[in-house]
Amino acid sequence: MDERTLDAIIARHDAPAGRLLGILGEIQNQEGYVSRETLEMLSEKVGVRISQLYGLATFYSYFTLRPVGDHVITICMGTACHVKGAVAILEALEGLLGIKSDVTDDGKLSITTIDRKFTVEIARCFGACSMAPVLRIDGNLYGYATPEDLPGILGEYGWKP
Amino acid sequence: MRIVSAADMEKVSRSGLRKIRPEKPRIAVGLATCGIAVGGMRVYDRIKEIIGEENPDIELARVGCIGYCREEPLVNITIPGKPLVILHRVTPGDAEEIVRAVEKGEVPVEKALCRIPLWDHITGCTQEYGAGFDGIPRYEDVPFFSHQKKVILRNSGLINPEQIDEYIAIGGYAAALKALSGMAPEAIIDEVEKSGLRGRGGAGFPTGLKWRIARNAEGDRKFVICNADEGDPGAYMNRNEMESDPHMVLEGMLIGAYAIGVSEGLIYIRAEYPLAIRRLQTAIGQAREYGLLGKDIFGTGFSFDIGIATGAGAFVCGESTALVASIEGRTGRPHPRPPRLTDPGGGLFGYPTDLNNVESWCNIPVIISKGSEWYAGIGAKGNSGTKVFSLVGKVDRVGLVEVPLGTSLNTIVFTIGNGGAGNKKVKAVQTGGPSGGCIPARLFDTPVDYESLNRIGSIMGSGGIVVMDEDTDMVDIARYFINFAASESCGKCVPCREGLKHTLLILNKILAKKATKKDLEILSDLTETIVATSLCGLGQTAPNPVLTTLAYFRDEYDALVNP
Amino acid sequence: MIQQEIPGKPITVTINGKEYRANEGEILLSVAIREKIEIPHLCYEASLDPYGACRLCMVEVVRKGKREMATSCTLRAADGLEVLTDTPEIVKHRSILFELYLAEAPKSDVIRDMAARYGVTRTRFLKRIEQGDPLGNKCVLCGLCVRACSEIMGAGAINFINRGPYTVVNTPYYAPSRDCFGCGACVRVCPTNAIEMEDAGAERVMKSWSGTRVPLSPCECCGRYYAPRELSASVLARLDTPLKEEIARLCPECRGKHIAREEILAKHGGSAKHA
Repeated sequence: MDERTLDAIIARHDAPAGRLLGILGEIQNQEGYVSRETLEMLSEKVGVRISQLYGLATFYSYFTLRPVGDHVITICMGTACHVKGAVAILEALEGLLGIKSDVTDDGKLSITTIDRKFTVEIARCFGACSMAPVLRIDGNLYGYATPEDLPGILGEYGWKP
Repeated sequence: MRIVSAADMEKVSRSGLRKIRPEKPRIAVGLATCGIAVGGMRVYDRIKEIIGEENPDIELARVGCIGYCREEPLVNITIPGKPLVILHRVTPGDAEEIVRAVEKGEVPVEKALCRIPLWDHITGCTQEYGAGFDGIPRYEDVPFFSHQKKVILRNSGLINPEQIDEYIAIGGYAAALKALSGMAPEAIIDEVEKSGLRGRGGAGFPTGLKWRIARNAEGDRKFVICNADEGDPGAYMNRNEMESDPHMVLEGMLIGAYAIGVSEGLIYIRAEYPLAIRRLQTAIGQAREYGLLGKDIFGTGFSFDIGIATGAGAFVCGESTALVASIEGRTGRPHPRPPRLTDPGGGLFGYPTDLNNVESWCNIPVIISKGSEWYAGIGAKGNSGTKVFSLVGKVDRVGLVEVPLGTSLNTIVFTIGNGGAGNKKVKAVQTGGPSGGCIPARLFDTPVDYESLNRIGSIMGSGGIVVMDEDTDMVDIARYFINFAASESCGKCVPCREGLKHTLLILNKILAKKATKKDLEILSDLTETIVATSLCGLGQTAPNPVLTTLAYFRDEYDALVNP
Repeated sequence: MIQQEIPGKPITVTINGKEYRANEGEILLSVAIREKIEIPHLCYEASLDPYGACRLCMVEVVRKGKREMATSCTLRAADGLEVLTDTPEIVKHRSILFELYLAEAPKSDVIRDMAARYGVTRTRFLKRIEQGDPLGNKCVLCGLCVRACSEIMGAGAINFINRGPYTVVNTPYYAPSRDCFGCGACVRVCPTNAIEMEDAGAERVMKSWSGTRVPLSPCECCGRYYAPRELSASVLARLDTPLKEEIARLCPECRGKHIAREEILAKHGGSAKHA
């Protein structure tokens, strides 16, 4: 992230309440992840130790520290989604994309395809439980998902079998 | 313009009413997150395409969600002099037919779910839509609605959440005007206490008492916070409350702030709710324009404003001290209480702080408007008022259900929810999220109130009710929740950090059919210690899903365990 | 934040049936420590705010005939407070907690000995052994090092990383820290001796903290490297003592000799600062 973009984000969060998480959230939204360079620049600019910022970025699951693929697929793992087959959706997705998701050493689940087109993540709950199971691709929600729907949905994002 | 008097309010109200019930037909599309996700926005766009940007004969509007999620996308049609008609399962393909019918003063009857000739918004406005369309079922006759009592959701799906005028038109901010210009702060707290309202975040602490403690706390600077971190998986009523009727939350906070004597408010909302955040921001902006937030509200000299702080994906931040830490820019690791938030040194930036859940705030305007006696008449003794539940999982009629506290699980799951989806047999429900428990169907005559749920090992929580059917593996459900709690543990204290990890390992072993009776003993010892020794509520309650499934579905464990 | 405690009025508390004098508001665990009543604890340090993380110091508080568990490091002494430190309930839960610690820090002698003192010699839980763990599989995440680093020293070089069972303590990005000035406070407060630090010539190596290296300054007299350079500067800035100059130039050993010589000179009528 360039310095001007970061300055603008910092300027938008001038109230002390919610400041750091607000800034980090915007960085995450804009960059797709929180890069080390940006975090170090932020540390300088707001006068907060890098250890504190790194602690925040690794504590809260909203932030990712690694670059993600072109499209981020998030599978909801809320209770309603779980009882309605979210695990089967995740497994079908792994099959289609040829990846095997596993919890990384930071406790977050995030895996990117080799061609860097797709990143698969899980979320604890979108609060869209009525149409479980749900997945989200780049901000678009897909409800009542079945493994059979996946090729069609992925096709909208340039996936080919 | 600034609203300072009842007359100003009346003027805005008239303008709002013209938006809700224009002199021409209005088509309103339900556009909360779930409505959008199942195609509501495409329906909206298609209708707009057909009728054009500015149509002299038809008004197109966006509304929130009435809660019957299974039937979405939902579209409301108001034709002057006729009942409001709710259409269900609308697709973009239906748009043409809808517009053509509306042009003729009609509605597509085969798409109609129900009609509403008259609607009581409770806070001083009853909408008399009109008569006709007799072939369409009445709202009261739709089984999903007939046993509900909409107090919190009284406006949801009927007004545009992005138009403050519409909220004012149905009696919004009148309670705030009444409170700020005619009631002493102590009198407001008395009313809330007498109403019997208890915290809707789950623990059920009396809201009025909390306010009194906060009011009496030493300190020249204080905060009120709205907890909108709705973290329980399977619960989304707060999201809908904010997306469909954000001004109700703001009005509740305004009244509370005045009663407690606070000028700074915050809404702590999870980042996973972008639409709710946007609608709250819009609502705050509009309230400021009208002078309902900011300096010298209603010319009373009282000032109050609200900011938004976003969470970043940590269930533990629903815990009060972790929530405050998060707003302060620290990791959400709870600290031992006392000091409580209301104690000097214990709240946000060290100032005494009052924290209430979204739905608790939503209850305030109606309590002030209708009075504590009216409110206390709803629900059961010691459990007054209604509660919104998200009825989800393997139930036929999925959606948001608002019922008086004390309503039985049977009524919620079978009468309103119509039992299992696909004619499957319902086995259990899970209430209260990861801190709650699994309740077997044989206990469904239990009234849903704070104490009754506690007695059978569960909790009210924020209001998620997830239905499980005959195909659901209850040991897997226990593992699901422990996995959730373990990965959401902040990691500060050992029983939660390490204890839940080992609980999960044992459950994995059981599900892999590699466990023995000895492992069940260890499981029982360990969970007991986690409950007794964890630092905060997350750890203390995390074993509940295991404890309740062990108590009620022991046979499912035994079938997996080797002797 | 470190809050200075103002001693409250003298009161009496009862621990295991025996009465003790204490100051109102005093932390019960510190009363117990003073009175030599054994309560196990890992995360308590008198110079830091109560933290309540290790849960080992839980006691039972007797109130109106009812018993309730509470951590003695967060419990404040009040007149008539009555606690029990070794009830069957406490023993049972404490044993499970020790089992969890034995699984979490299997290489820690301190934990092993402490648990054994309370009769726990084995754990039923799977031991976590990580090859190459910078803290030698001895860390119990009590947080003392993190808090000493930021709250006492103001360095903030290390912190908790991740959360829940994945929590560890280290430097950001597991890279050598620029904020560490090698004071070694973390090493000294660590209850399980998990943190490794080594002085190698002109450098101090914080082996556990991603190999952070901190330059040391030499003694002007004997030439031995003895103090982290940055630390000396920041500590000296805060010191107001006639010793200031000696501390900046001389290692503790040479400083001793130097002071002794000055004393002798003073006694024999020479010029000396420390008369």
